[in-house]
This record gives sequence, structure tokens and C-alpha cells, in this order.
Amino acid sequence: MTLPAGQYRPAGSPHAGLPMTYILNRLLSVTLTLFLITLVTFAVTNILPGDVAMMIMGTQSNPEALTGLRESLGLNDPLLVQYGHWVGGMVSGNWGDSLIFKKPILGLLGQKIVASAIIVVLSMAIALALAVPLGVWAAVHRDKWQDNVSSSAALLGVSLPDFFWGIVMILVFARWLGWFPSSGFVEPSVDPLGALQRAFLPSLALGLGLMAHLTRMTRSTMTGILSQEFIRVARAKGLAERTVIWRYALANAIGPVITIAGLQIGYLFGSIIVMESLFGYTGMGWLTYQALLNRDLPLIQDTVFVIAAVVMLTNLAVDLLYVVIDPRIRLG
Amino acid sequence: MKRFKTTKGLIGIVLLLAIALIAILGPMIIPPEASTAMDMHARRSPPTLIHLFGTDQLGRDLMFRVILGARTSLEIAVSAVVMSVVLGLPLGLISGYFGGLTDNVLMRLVDTLLAFPALLLALTISAVLGPNLQNTIIAIGVAFTPYLARIIRGEALRVAQMPYVEAARSSGTTDIMIMGRHVLPNILPAVIVQGTISLAFAILAEAGLSFLGLGTQPPAASWGLMIQASRDQLDIAPWTAIVPGLAVALTVLGLNMFGDVLRDILDPRAK
Repeated sequence: MTLPAGQYRPAGSPHAGLPMTYILNRLLSVTLTLFLITLVTFAVTNILPGDVAMMIMGTQSNPEALTGLRESLGLNDPLLVQYGHWVGGMVSGNWGDSLIFKKPILGLLGQKIVASAIIVVLSMAIALALAVPLGVWAAVHRDKWQDNVSSSAALLGVSLPDFFWGIVMILVFARWLGWFPSSGFVEPSVDPLGALQRAFLPSLALGLGLMAHLTRMTRSTMTGILSQEFIRVARAKGLAERTVIWRYALANAIGPVITIAGLQIGYLFGSIIVMESLFGYTGMGWLTYQALLNRDLPLIQDTVFVIAAVVMLTNLAVDLLYVVIDPRIRLG
Repeated sequence: MKRFKTTKGLIGIVLLLAIALIAILGPMIIPPEASTAMDMHARRSPPTLIHLFGTDQLGRDLMFRVILGARTSLEIAVSAVVMSVVLGLPLGLISGYFGGLTDNVLMRLVDTLLAFPALLLALTISAVLGPNLQNTIIAIGVAFTPYLARIIRGEALRVAQMPYVEAARSSGTTDIMIMGRHVLPNILPAVIVQGTISLAFAILAEAGLSFLGLGTQPPAASWGLMIQASRDQLDIAPWTAIVPGLAVALTVLGLNMFGDVLRDILDPRAK
């Protein structure tokens, strides 16, 4: 197949690899950011006013128990020592024990991250599957009723809190229709289908909230691409409209959409706290919520750190992916 | 599309005005007892002539509660956004105006904060400080600050390179004067647009925090709290979720519609 004007290409054509210096720079920057994330996490959970032991045990607890807890958590040490202890522990693989679950946190995290990964991936897939066609549809029929319908739908999706969508899902699909279980989590290794079933409703609810920005982004980049010269050339040489739109235009418009999708990962990791709690789906979000609700300080610190680290690394991955799929990006 | 945009803006403004009026006037007209009075003969009553929006599990009138909740929710959202602007404005302004090392250090910090999902940061701050109305404001305000700072920094960076800023600098005007007189007025439109859009997110954040029990505390009425209370009775009284849910939706919808049009008017580059 011949390509139109050189700089544009359909997806999947060969590209140059990533330069080594770029990768090294990014790695250095990632390490620095991880360090800063530990600082912020520690600051938020420790330097804010309030007695941590009191926060954990409540104001009514007896002084001896409080002293004991302070001792065991090392709260009497200077902050710098506490910080060093925490980070040092994480580096050496000792992430401490959860106060409420009475288990090593590292094991808990490993389990829960898998559960949440299912939801995150599924909801992003649902959001993209809805948003991209809707955005393309709006761009192709720009300024017509289809465009208005699409932007109204996007606006509605973003205007309702996602837990409200969650409640609607439970009501309609679980209680009334009985198609899906309304809550719970099963290990995917035990029952893959059941795991997917239980992840579906929370993911759908999250996907509806996510799709709004993605629809808008798809529409606006597609609108830009569709007015370009190479699209006219493609049409003029008699390519089917479907090929022009999906293979030529969308392939060139998808980059920014993926960037926005990547940025939404952070938002998604905030939303899973609400959604997993609503659905009783025991993933990272649920774990974080339990930690916050029960003032389980070691668990709060570790979950907050892990979520921020995962968000940062995902954003990095999306950046790199973007470079790989779009050779027009110059690395700086 | 143009007419659609104008209509959208109009609907947005009308919605917002109506909600603001209800939130401000409601508590003046409705006696506070009305929202806590329990009608024991009409617990979980569906919408009727006596209880237009129905009642909750304690027989409290949902219309009165949703109106009083409007005030709480809006108060928190507005205060939180004002706080994030107050914190984010100097941060973004200094970073964007001075550039260089200052910018590098400040933005590195802001980028780090951006790795924390806003809701997670807000929940954590609220849990650590102890959940109540004031701390909900602080939690959301701090959580939104890096977003504001990022956008303001970008704007300040653009304005700082303008010829009139260059001219002011070469005529010996101090940096503080330039920032206040020349940079600030020119980035205000972007701040207003971002503030409006942040308000929508703040309403949703408050609802989320309260829904999880880490925001406003009962007996106060807030939309998130009302939805939380509805969770256990969805089957028998779905209106207890739908009424506050709609209140959130209409407000956020109004803010988004208004924000979109505002952006087209004030910030034509950001399309």
C-alpha cells in the first residue's frame, strides 16, 4: 500500500528505537520522583498536626496503651529516624505489618494490586471502546446533530459522581435484572469468569465517568486531522471513506487520546477507592479505604506510596508508548 | 454548533443561578427543624404531595434536606477552590515568571503531588486531620492545589515572555510589580476558567469524601452523606439516592456547561 505525504503513516509501520540517553535520563528522573513521593507521603501522614497514636486508638484509650503503641511504632523517635526506618524497610523488603489485618503489608499489597489491575484495565478498555467511536462519529458529523448528541452524552457522563453510576449499576444489573453479582471479589486464578463478572459492574461505572474526556479529545484531534491535506488526498485517490477515517485519520489522531487516557490513570486510582468500597471488591482501593477508616498508619503510608508510585510509572509507560507509536515525537 | 454552544451556556447559567439561589435562600426560608423533623408515619415515603421528594429512613423530608445540603456542598466546594487558588496562584506565578531553577524545583514538587490521585490525597488528609466540615475543605483545597499551580505556571510562563513584560523589565520595574501589574491580570481569565471547572470537581470530591464517611459528618446534610445513607435501602427506596444524585448532577452539569462557554469566551486559545 502506498502512503500519502511522507510524515503521516497508518499505525504499525516501523520506527526507530528509543535512544539510550533518553532512557537513562528518564530512569534518573523516576528515581528522584519516587524519592519525592516517599517524602510527600511521609509528610502528609506524619507532619500534619495530631498525635498518631491517639489517631489510631481514639481519644478515649488509656495512656499506657498509647505509650506502648508509640513505642512499637517507633513514634518517639525523631521524624528523620522514622522516615529513614520506613524507607529503609521498604528498600530491604520489610514493609511492616498492618495493624488491622495483622499481616505483612507487602503480601497484602501484592494480592490487592492484581485485583485492582483487573478493574483499571477493564474500565479503561470500556471507556476507550465507548469514547473513540463516539468521538470519531462526532468529528465526522461535525456541527450536526450527531456532534451535539455525542458532546451531551460526554457532558452527562462527567457530571455524575462515578459512585452514583455504581449505585445505578447495582440497582439495575444486579438487583433488578440479576445479570451480575452486586458485590465481592474472587481470585482470578480460582474462577476467572467469576472474577471478570465481579469486576465488570464497577469497571463499567468507572468507564462511564472516564469516557467523557476521551470522547472530547478524540473529537477534537479527529476534527483537526480530518481537515488536513493528506486526508483530502486519500479521498481524492478513491479510498473508501471507512479506510480514510479509521486507518488514516484515526491512526494519526489516537496519540493525544492515549496521552489523555494515561493521565486519567491517576484519576482512576482515586476513583477505585470509592468504587471498590461500594462494590465490596477487595482490591487496592478497598485496602486503602480500610487503612484510612481504621487509622492503620503503616498501611496508610504504604498504600498511598504504592498508588502514587504506580500512577507515576503508568504515566511514564504511556509517555514511552506514545513515542513508540508516534515517530513524529521528538525526544528532549 | 454555535447556537448549541450559546444554548448550553444559557442553560448552564440558569442552572447555576437557580442552585445558588436555592442554596442561599433555602436555609433562610426553611426552618432548620424542617430538615431534621421525623415524620414517623411516612418513613421511606415515595414522593407525595406532602413530601414532594419523598422521605428517608427516619422520615425526614428529602426536599428540605437536599436544599440544606446544597448549602453545605457548595460552601465546601467554593471554599476549597478558593483555597487552592490562594495556594496555587503564588506557586504557579513565581514558577512561571522566574523560570530556571526556581521553576524546576517548584514544578518537580508539583509533579510529585500530581502523582497522588486528588481523591486519595484529600481522603488521606481528611483521615489524618479528622473528618469534619473544615478539614474537608482543607483536604480538597490542598489536593487541588497542584492542578491549579500547573495551569497558572503555564500561563505565567507565556505572559512572562511577552514584549510588554520585557519592556517593563528593561525600564526597571521590580519583579513584584511586574507580576502584580502585568502578569497577574493577563492570567486571570485562565484562572477563572480553571476555577469554574475545579468547582465541578470539588462538588464531586466532597460527595465522594462524605460518601466514604471521611468528609462532612452527620447530622449535617450534604449530598454525599445523603447518597451514603441511601445505600442500604436502594431496593425499597431508590429515590433516597436519586434525589441527592440528581442535585449533584445538575450542579456539576451547570458548572461544566458554564465553564465550557466561559473558556470559549475568556480563553480562546484553549480549544
